[in-house]
Amino acid sequence: MASTTDRVDINGKIERARERWRKKTQDAFYVTIGMGTCGLAAGAAGTLKAIEAELGARGLRAKVSSVGCVGMCSYEPMVELQMPGRPRMNYGKVTADRVAEILAAYLDGSPVRESVIIGKVDETVTRRNGGTLYAHSFLNTDTLEKIPFHRKQLRIVLSNCGLIDPESIDDYLAMDGYRALEKVIGGMSPEQVIEEVKKSGLRGRGGGGFNAGLKWSLARKTERWPKYVVCNADEGDPGAFMDRSVLEGDPHSLIEGMTIAGYAIGASCGYVYCRAEYPLAIRRLNIALEDARKTGLLGENILGSDFSFDIEIKEGAGAFVCGEETALMNSIMGERGQPWPRPPYPAVAGLWGQPSNVNNVKTYAYTPRIIRMGADWFKGLGTESSPGTAVFALSGMVNRTGLIEVPMGITLRDIIYDVGGGIPNGRKFKAVQTGGPLGGCLPEKYLDVPVDFDSLNAAGAVMGSGGMIVADETTCMVEFSKYFMHFVTEESCGKCPPCRIGSTRMLEVLERITSGEGKPEDLDEIRYLAKGMQQGSLCGLGQLAPAPVLSALRHFEDEFWAHIHEARCPSASCEKLVRAPCVSACPAGVDVPAYLALVAQGRYAEGLAIHREANPFPSICGRVCPAFCERRCRRGQIDESIAIRQVKRFMADESFAVPWTPPRLASKKGVRIAVVGSGPCGLTAALRLAQNGYDVTVFERMSRPGGMMTYGIPAYRLPREILFAEIDHIRRAGVEIRCGLELGSDFTIKSLQADGYKAIILALGAHRSRSLGIPGEDKKGVYHGVQMLRDIAEGRIPELSGKRVVVVGAGDTAMDAARSALRLGAKEVSIVYRRSREQVPAQDEEFTATEQEGVRIHLLSNPVLVMGDASVTGVRLQRQELGDFDSSGRRRPVPVPGSEYDMPCDLLVPAIGQITWVEDESVGMSRKGSFQVGEAFNIDIPGVFAAGDAVTGPATVVQSVAHGNEVAITVDSWLKTGKLGGVYYRPGRHDIPQLFNIDDYAAASRPGIRMLTPEERIKRQDFSEVEEVLDEKTVQEECKRCLRCDMEWLERIGEPLP
Amino acid sequence: MEVTLTINDRKVVAPEGSTILEAARAAGIRIPTLCHHPDLSNVGACRLCVVTVEKARSLQTACTTPVFEGMVVHTESEDARATRRFVLEMLLSDHPNDCMKCEVNGNCELQDLAYEYDVPFPETGGKRHEYDSDPDANPFVAVDRNKCVLCGRCIRACAEIQVRNVWSFASRGFQSKLVAGADQPMLSARCESCGLCIAYCPVGALYDRLSLKKARANKVRKVRTTCPYCGVGCNMDLNVSDGRIVRVTSTPEAPVNGMALCVKGRFGYDFVHHADRLKKPQVRRYLIEGGEKGRGEAWDEMVEVGWDAALDISARRLREIRDAHGPDSIGVLTSAKCLNEENYLMNKFARQVIGTNNIDHCARL
Repeated sequence: MASTTDRVDINGKIERARERWRKKTQDAFYVTIGMGTCGLAAGAAGTLKAIEAELGARGLRAKVSSVGCVGMCSYEPMVELQMPGRPRMNYGKVTADRVAEILAAYLDGSPVRESVIIGKVDETVTRRNGGTLYAHSFLNTDTLEKIPFHRKQLRIVLSNCGLIDPESIDDYLAMDGYRALEKVIGGMSPEQVIEEVKKSGLRGRGGGGFNAGLKWSLARKTERWPKYVVCNADEGDPGAFMDRSVLEGDPHSLIEGMTIAGYAIGASCGYVYCRAEYPLAIRRLNIALEDARKTGLLGENILGSDFSFDIEIKEGAGAFVCGEETALMNSIMGERGQPWPRPPYPAVAGLWGQPSNVNNVKTYAYTPRIIRMGADWFKGLGTESSPGTAVFALSGMVNRTGLIEVPMGITLRDIIYDVGGGIPNGRKFKAVQTGGPLGGCLPEKYLDVPVDFDSLNAAGAVMGSGGMIVADETTCMVEFSKYFMHFVTEESCGKCPPCRIGSTRMLEVLERITSGEGKPEDLDEIRYLAKGMQQGSLCGLGQLAPAPVLSALRHFEDEFWAHIHEARCPSASCEKLVRAPCVSACPAGVDVPAYLALVAQGRYAEGLAIHREANPFPSICGRVCPAFCERRCRRGQIDESIAIRQVKRFMADESFAVPWTPPRLASKKGVRIAVVGSGPCGLTAALRLAQNGYDVTVFERMSRPGGMMTYGIPAYRLPREILFAEIDHIRRAGVEIRCGLELGSDFTIKSLQADGYKAIILALGAHRSRSLGIPGEDKKGVYHGVQMLRDIAEGRIPELSGKRVVVVGAGDTAMDAARSALRLGAKEVSIVYRRSREQVPAQDEEFTATEQEGVRIHLLSNPVLVMGDASVTGVRLQRQELGDFDSSGRRRPVPVPGSEYDMPCDLLVPAIGQITWVEDESVGMSRKGSFQVGEAFNIDIPGVFAAGDAVTGPATVVQSVAHGNEVAITVDSWLKTGKLGGVYYRPGRHDIPQLFNIDDYAAASRPGIRMLTPEERIKRQDFSEVEEVLDEKTVQEECKRCLRCDMEWLERIGEPLP
Repeated sequence: MEVTLTINDRKVVAPEGSTILEAARAAGIRIPTLCHHPDLSNVGACRLCVVTVEKARSLQTACTTPVFEGMVVHTESEDARATRRFVLEMLLSDHPNDCMKCEVNGNCELQDLAYEYDVPFPETGGKRHEYDSDPDANPFVAVDRNKCVLCGRCIRACAEIQVRNVWSFASRGFQSKLVAGADQPMLSARCESCGLCIAYCPVGALYDRLSLKKARANKVRKVRTTCPYCGVGCNMDLNVSDGRIVRVTSTPEAPVNGMALCVKGRFGYDFVHHADRLKKPQVRRYLIEGGEKGRGEAWDEMVEVGWDAALDISARRLREIRDAHGPDSIGVLTSAKCLNEENYLMNKFARQVIGTNNIDHCARL
């Protein structure tokens, strides 16, 4: 399209702009400050003022430039300093009050808080794959690898954001801006442009993923004029701000892209539809439009050619549905923002009935780069079917939230753990939601799915326009999906009944479920409503709205059922179901606030009775429970959580002299039940059934009852008299415990049935130690941790004095074995573990105590060979490094070749896990691992049930108690009705009044617990209890620190306070 | 140009550019609709006309989808029927259960569709709107938003036919509602109370206030007539019950006006049964019995006479006046209620019979 009019010399302009850029950034003191909406929200305006004031005070002349956002939300406001002859440094969290400190650090070399320095910027690393300019230009003061947020990013569409001043066309030109437009107008036909975009494989970044070039060609084909280029900048997903960043940080790239599109389809007018809630974006875009017009890059006869094109901004009122292209065009035309059914498609009849092309901001912003670098360059990035990069707003439960651009094909795991830095506060990942309110969530097992349009679709999520929300274990998936459905009910345009009414009905069902009033048929109702909305709705909003709920239902159906059946929110998140987080967190649902309130009043026996309703082992759990309750205690968010376990222990010890006779709750039935295994699960189940009038016999293969409580937990943590006293309580309920009888040899399921036992509960535990699977394991001196603890409990004390012991593994058994070995006089005890400290499965307290007592911990080491002839003389270890993530969400230990080293020892103690191991020929049962059970804990033999560790694998006492409660209820129901399942354990509740003013305890703090010093513990060479009990006064005061979440809950559900 | 398509295994020929719905109806194939009306533009809102089009990604609305050569349509596919049922369930779940006392019982498209698709009234369920059932003081047109299905036919009728743009939707999602103007009373929103919106309302959301509790549609006899108010000649149906007009409805068969009527034609029928209505000519007694007026009340009172007598007296007096005072002492005022022909005759009468140019008509106000 050569023209005879004066051509604008764009190349000359670019050269001059580059020169000015070089001067600006290198010849003087150059300061940039991130002034996107995110930066401004974090106080960047104040920072700017402070910088100018400080420069003035120092009498320094500097070029201060406002730039867009580099995506590190958690580090705003961000400042970069560059003095000729000094390194270019990037600083985060530079609020106004820290400006002087940071300038002093940079200019005078005075010390600065390390966390503030993001990194050193090195311009030599500014271009990788031709696209990225900035991300990889970050260099930590040490190494590039230390900035994980940037390492896996590839910034193309965001490459200028945070680098250039968005209000300066000069800066954009210096980055080769408008070179693509020049190339297009100067020497490409519209068809060639379309062909190039088609060839690049660029897919629409609004979420649809339709081939952009193909879309353009359709608009070009329709032979009616005028035509329109429309940019969809109506970004409305909660927590998504990708388009805003482009508009605020690099507006010219959009203008250039739209102008190229206008040239390609034959349009002379463009619209940017942007929500009015983006005032900064609109202001900057307006400045950019005006600058482009003045420079001859927009308007009449662009670059002196006969191609004319201009762009208008249409401010929308912030309706989510206006992101739908037909609703968007209705809104531009001044109509109500409601979609119309397609056909007609925009390419045929769009804006004012004319051919129109609608694309997302990012789609247009990619095109200048594609034209400049060539289709093949773009095609070479990302994956075959989804070339290029993906921009995400990463938010929710990740350490580093922010705006990221990653190559397509990267895994979700890489995004969440590497770029995002994993889940905060050591919590577990639960799900990631992509595609916002119209997307879907994916659980752990999908984390290795590559991120591209088709893979995400296949996995049941969608790419969407770029929202990515991470949920951790504290997120309730029912509530999560309810949130999105609520969003849809607010944002549905109301035009068609499936969406307008269907979304409201769906929300009502979800509200019902999250308030504990769900019905078993509700899940079918959800699926029915979802299908109706998907099939019946007019536009994508209604058709896709059920997706978050359906995906949550697909991956987390259990959570829905827990709400419906048990009125329980497993994540302790649903307001109406969570009486108190501690109660929700307790597997057995013990009414914590009730007994804390009673203990505060000195009513210990009443508190104990309430505890025993849900858990018959307060003394035991008062010593060994990991106290899930304390981790979720709300007081812990203010200062420190209540010392619940200590209170429990005191309460139980107070009544130790008074033996408990469990109350009988139903008359004798004359029905016999056998429980195999006398661990916490078996005993609890036996107790509950006996209380309900059954004649229960417990069979135990060891000589004493208690299972792992007796044979796994050493006496220094759980004194024997306490343990056996609580087991005796179970006997007082009428339960007969017969020891020394083993299933499969001394008796069988058949023989039990023949003896008239109507139901049999297998609470066998998991006792068989896993083998290491390495050569030499059968040598003398290989002594499994489980066996060692069992021998000690049985009184067969191994001779360890003067010996060197190496324990393999880092679970609770490993810690117990190591600490026991120390107490038995071992000269040196080491623990080797193949993963790192963060991944140690043992409780934190246990691990710390083990370390304190003098056990040497060797992390990232794995045994590969047991050395010695007949007896063990040592173990060969191989160093490990952390590789990719495995299916448990932890980084996989990868052996480092050639890193083997030997560790001499006399005893090698494997403690890497236990499994269930049982054989009973009478019914052909041979189980080497966990039992698979039905809803009623039933296994495939009629009348036989399994529960506890035999089902879950090794777990805690309280988890086994919970299983015991549950299996008892279902067995009782089965015996009464002949039906399996359908009954659920719902712990009772007690509302205890609060008799003091909580405000008086605002400043109170958690008492310290006196423990024996590590020296005392080892010196004694015995198994004395390590932890001492608190005194009465301290315990009562501690209870008064409880915030009484249960009272707040009563108010929430509208019930009177006690 | 015509295209051939297949609907429910039948070959159907339809003009190019027609919709699936038009093609199907022309071929006698029923597709249910609610927001569609042949007089109005199509918006595809109610989703009841969804049909399966082979190779299409999703169900298509028959009212908006144009036919193409070789198109294969199934109007009664399982998905389509299930979706229609779902839509009706949703609509009924936010609809009052008061067919018993509803004005349009028996004449309600929602009721008919629920009957056809066997959708019961959902007894339990979530929230329903509880709007004021008669919030607008318009003396003729009443609105009950509780019954509104948001089909938008009233909006389009008002905008496209009457061109008054009174109605529109406000708010979003479940809160969407029909409003006049900026949620104002109708009369403040350019409404001229023509009642066209009532004529297009498929349910009982817009109804005729004057006819309230008079007689439902199936209890009336419809008498087609021409509106007496003006010379346009609108056809309309008098709904007669028990010998009295209880309502006026418009009819799509009306050649001049279609469904449109003005406020007078639709609502101005109270004169018919009015006690003051004159049914026979009357003249003053002195004109019959001879003599002068002003001789006393008895002499001046009106008395009923036959048409011949009345016309004779009128002719006589006109002649007397013309003869006594000249033709220009008489002026003729005709009416917009008259037909052109009648006005032409009055013109002739004035100029040729009376001999004056004093003729005018009331529409020049």
